[in-house]
Amino acid sequence: MSIRHVTAGAIAALALGYGAADAGEIKIGMVTPITGPAAESGKYAQIGAKMAIEEVNAAGGVNGNTLTLVTEDDQTTNPGIIAAFSRLSTQTDIPVFLGSIRSTQVDAMSPDVMKVGKPVFIGGTAPQLTHQGNKWLFRCRPNDSYSARVIADYGVDTLGLKKWAVVHSTDAFGTGGMNALVAALKAKGLTPALVQGYPNQSPDFSAVVLAVKSSGADVMGSYFTFETDLGTFAKQVKQLGVTAKWVGSPSITDASAIKLAGPALNGTFGIADFAAGSSDEAKAFAAKYEGIAKALADNQSSWTYDAVHIAAKAMIDTKSTDPEKLRDAILAIKGYKGAEGTYNFDQNGDGLHGYNVVKNEGGKMVFDKHVEYTD
Amino acid sequence: MTTQTSKPAASRAVWGVPLLLAAGAVTIILPLVHPMNGYILNLFMQAATYAMAVLGLTVVLGYTGQISLAQAAFFGLGAYGVAIGTTMLHWPFLLALLLGVAVAALLGAVLGASTLKLGGHYLAMVTISFQQILTLVLTNWIGLTNGPDGVRNIPRPSLFGLSLADSDRYLALCLVALYAVGFFVWWLKRTKLGLGMQAVRDNELAAEVVGVDTYRVKVTAFCLSALLGGLGGGLFAGGFGYISPDQFSFNESVVFMTMVLLGGADAAVGSAIGTVLLILLPEWLRFLRGAYLAVYGLAVILIMVFMPTGLWGLLSRLGGPPRLRERGVPEVLTLGGGAGSGETLLEIKGLAKHFGGLKALDGVDISVERGKVHALIGPNGSGKTTMLNVLSGIYKPTRGEVLVDGVKVSGRPPHELAAAGVGRTFQNIRLFHSLTVLENVVIGAQRPNNSAATTPDEVQRRAMAALDLVGMAARADLKVASLPYGHQRLVEIARALAGNPALLLLDEPAAGLNLTEKQELVGLLKRLAGHGLTLFLIDHDMNLVEQMADRITVLNFGKRIAEGAPAEVLRHPDVIAAYLGEVPDDAAA
Amino acid sequence: MAIFLQLLFTGVGIGSVYALVALGFVLIYRATNVVNFAQGEFAMLGAYAMVVLTQDLALPYWLAIPISLVIMAVVGALFNLGVYYPLRHRSFLPVVISTIGASILLTNSVLVGYGPQPESLQGMFDFPGFQIGEVFLDSQYLLIIVVTILLVAFQYFFFEHTLLGKKMQATSQDKEMASLLGIPVARMIMLTFIYSALLGGLAGILVAPIMFVSVGLGSQVALKAFAASIIGGFGDVTGAVVGGLSLGIIETFGAAYISVPYKDAFAFLVLFGFLLIRPQGLFGEKVAQKA
Repeated sequence: MSIRHVTAGAIAALALGYGAADAGEIKIGMVTPITGPAAESGKYAQIGAKMAIEEVNAAGGVNGNTLTLVTEDDQTTNPGIIAAFSRLSTQTDIPVFLGSIRSTQVDAMSPDVMKVGKPVFIGGTAPQLTHQGNKWLFRCRPNDSYSARVIADYGVDTLGLKKWAVVHSTDAFGTGGMNALVAALKAKGLTPALVQGYPNQSPDFSAVVLAVKSSGADVMGSYFTFETDLGTFAKQVKQLGVTAKWVGSPSITDASAIKLAGPALNGTFGIADFAAGSSDEAKAFAAKYEGIAKALADNQSSWTYDAVHIAAKAMIDTKSTDPEKLRDAILAIKGYKGAEGTYNFDQNGDGLHGYNVVKNEGGKMVFDKHVEYTD
Repeated sequence: MTTQTSKPAASRAVWGVPLLLAAGAVTIILPLVHPMNGYILNLFMQAATYAMAVLGLTVVLGYTGQISLAQAAFFGLGAYGVAIGTTMLHWPFLLALLLGVAVAALLGAVLGASTLKLGGHYLAMVTISFQQILTLVLTNWIGLTNGPDGVRNIPRPSLFGLSLADSDRYLALCLVALYAVGFFVWWLKRTKLGLGMQAVRDNELAAEVVGVDTYRVKVTAFCLSALLGGLGGGLFAGGFGYISPDQFSFNESVVFMTMVLLGGADAAVGSAIGTVLLILLPEWLRFLRGAYLAVYGLAVILIMVFMPTGLWGLLSRLGGPPRLRERGVPEVLTLGGGAGSGETLLEIKGLAKHFGGLKALDGVDISVERGKVHALIGPNGSGKTTMLNVLSGIYKPTRGEVLVDGVKVSGRPPHELAAAGVGRTFQNIRLFHSLTVLENVVIGAQRPNNSAATTPDEVQRRAMAALDLVGMAARADLKVASLPYGHQRLVEIARALAGNPALLLLDEPAAGLNLTEKQELVGLLKRLAGHGLTLFLIDHDMNLVEQMADRITVLNFGKRIAEGAPAEVLRHPDVIAAYLGEVPDDAAA
Repeated sequence: MAIFLQLLFTGVGIGSVYALVALGFVLIYRATNVVNFAQGEFAMLGAYAMVVLTQDLALPYWLAIPISLVIMAVVGALFNLGVYYPLRHRSFLPVVISTIGASILLTNSVLVGYGPQPESLQGMFDFPGFQIGEVFLDSQYLLIIVVTILLVAFQYFFFEHTLLGKKMQATSQDKEMASLLGIPVARMIMLTFIYSALLGGLAGILVAPIMFVSVGLGSQVALKAFAASIIGGFGDVTGAVVGGLSLGIIETFGAAYISVPYKDAFAFLVLFGFLLIRPQGLFGEKVAQKA
């Protein structure tokens, strides 16, 4: 039994396949879902990253080197991302990593990131990720404390609606979002008429929709994780005659949600960290991306695109790949215009501090306004 | 007369033990002196902690044959015990680990309690429900578990002032724990409890009749299994520093189950093999990218089809047939158990057993004298087997009572009847098919209150003596399933005798035997009666009954229609009418 | 009151889906004593077959349905040959694990072939449904309920009043005896698997417009359907239907009146209760062991 352990370990070590970088090459390591439920979005994330790499190389590379992407499958699970990241980090010549858009996965790999001690860019939006003392995490999307404030601000100030129903998934993302939204409403002196959680992958939302209807709310704020749930909910909202306005978290703007829910989402508002119409950079990114991926650009790919560019910028600015120097360089970045928005990194590692609000008009996402915070 | 007790596997272990210890020590020390990268350390930590949970399944599924698809729940309970204990209650790691393990063991016992009424598919469903409910609680009871966010920053312990924060040291801890657990599970198989568990797995009814408290064994199995699962989970939490509810879902229970079946469910080594393989396999198959899970699923099917006993089962069969051990000369079997000395050993008073509207037994009185052979005959459906089942405790009587040595035993569960000195054989032989001949008989000798075998040593000797009496001593180390029918019957009798019964119930002992075997059996039974053993038997062979019985009782439609010495009973007109119909003139002599 | 009726309608609707899948479970169990953990995947495959036929191959809906059913029949036959048949003499645990392996294999093969993005399948009818007073009756749910009723009626007729149906019943009750009477047991079992796959596929085709088509469709429904068949009485066809409907109603009302996040827990708590107090379910035979 024990001998088998050692033998197995030896075989595993051999099978790892250490790859040394070619001369003149800098590797960017990326843990991404290649298998598991999020495999499709993993594909988009890779396309975004590779687009940026190509652009950097076309502009002369980094300090005379070309960038390449090295990926590991995180299987969309927590143990999977730990294994993937630790496997990647055995390649000691990787100076910088791209992590996950899923916050629980970032949480899972966080201790290992601390041990490795190199910059890791993430897309997860749970606020505490950058507030728990890990100095190596840099976020290329605005976190959920901002998303909730934008939902509240837009609904109350712009739409003028004060009776809220908060519908949220009971998972980590949904619960965190709900907490942030309730807090944001409280800061405006409002208490929601209804706070209703639901478990992911429900086939039926009658109970939730009827609860919203009974509460008499005139506006819904939502945090949905899965587009299928969003689609079912949206259809039943229409069927059961709920007329409240709807301002939802980014999933409501996803291409697949629109495809699934169809006309049921017309007239809804969504907050989106990525919106093609929000800036020239976003427009350019979207156009180029759609040509390559043959799909609409969304936040699965925009953050990796920005992350690679920011990493390259830091390496060029410091003319080095030393972790501490890179960290200082990233934190010093102010006013950098990426596809997601304008980056001003704060001391916690958060690069973005605002969200776009878009409206679904007949299936097309139309940019309405951008709300930015300075804190 | 001196006898040589048969040593357990000790002789083989003379050179094996130091080798294993050395190998184990190497795996613990190696990571400490030779730096290994974090990836491999993580992999081994996962393998080690998972292996502990899988060893738990070896106990409950492999040894005891009970399905548990809730092992991930217990793994999770241990993990959350550590997580909550250290990060929220600020307890030291080991205390938190104890908390997790205790909660897991307690709930394991509760789950085991459900086996009182259920088995097979239904038990599987109960364990699945338990698993699902626990996952929902872990996810939704945010106040206790932090909900889907999970618990982070779980610290690692310090032992004797030495910090185990480094992965290589923590891995050493995990490996030490794993080896201890592995040894325990391996050793358990040969203990009285372990044999009892395997008896429950192979033939629960026979186990109960032979004196094993099957319900207690099953609850213990679940409790142990949950305890080991919780231990693995607790160490897992410390290893990875962050846990969330989705890691302890039904899917993980399926993974554990697959690991134990792949490796070989009934061996501790099998668990280890299965775990290592199924943790490394996805890593090796990474190159298949998207398709690897599909291949994994296919592999599971193929393994089930072609390797039912798992890899270890396959490997151990390559070792060849079992070697027979040298055991010296067996002693002579002492018989005639039972503390009383009254003339009447067995007293049946007004016994009735109804199944709904069917009156299988309708008020029967029988009295059996100590040391005599009493036969019960009657046409099919007269209630004979029902009678025997009531006597061995399998049925509770509807009315009436049964007294053995003046003590009322009716209505008590079979294992208590065995403890009172009632032994039994079955019409369709019920042996523990995956065990050896000796192991089967040892289980019989282990029955509670066996005055002839109070220490493990005495148990072994008594078992060999019983085998010698029936002439099967030379085949002690063969698997019973490989024996011909007649020999199996003899082993079953030896098993009953090893329990030193006061009363031996025999249900059609000659069924399936040829003429020669029957005569040998009659000879054996006569010898037993000669030793003072009281026999109560059912049979259809009138020849045999006439040769054996001192007294015969005849049943028809659940009522006694005749009783007395063989000669008069077998010529009694009512008896003949019952068997042949209403033509008494044609009665054959 | 309107809310109560609305919930009742939805509960019966979703319950009918569970009932359809549960029927498939029960049939295979009765014939082979095997719990088929891949039953949910039959539903998933049926739904994907429809997606491929109606979207990729642009076939009309009414044509796609019979073709999908034929595909499911083939799937059922292959499943029998590959997963059950080689293990038919073993104890039930290897078979159960084998069906779990099949479930993983099927789910991931579709994932590799089609990708993880959920698809939508249009409903049978163009109009969304009827509004009766304050209650909205979704047309697809109505269809599901009607089909389930028809199917149960058909099944009763088939099993009780046709020779083939009786032969299949005989096989499920006593394989040895059936074979001694000249009933081709292997063929009956093959028919059972084919029929169960059809049932599963049909359930998938019916529910896809509501739940969307994704590789996880199977497991969402299967576990609940399994619980439903236990509540109804494992091995009993009526029980599967009653159990499915009951579960759908319990779940929906539990969600509305007690707690939405814990609604899955109600199903399992009820199941737990039944298993401890009345394991034979509502209609099953007593769970007993022969001495």
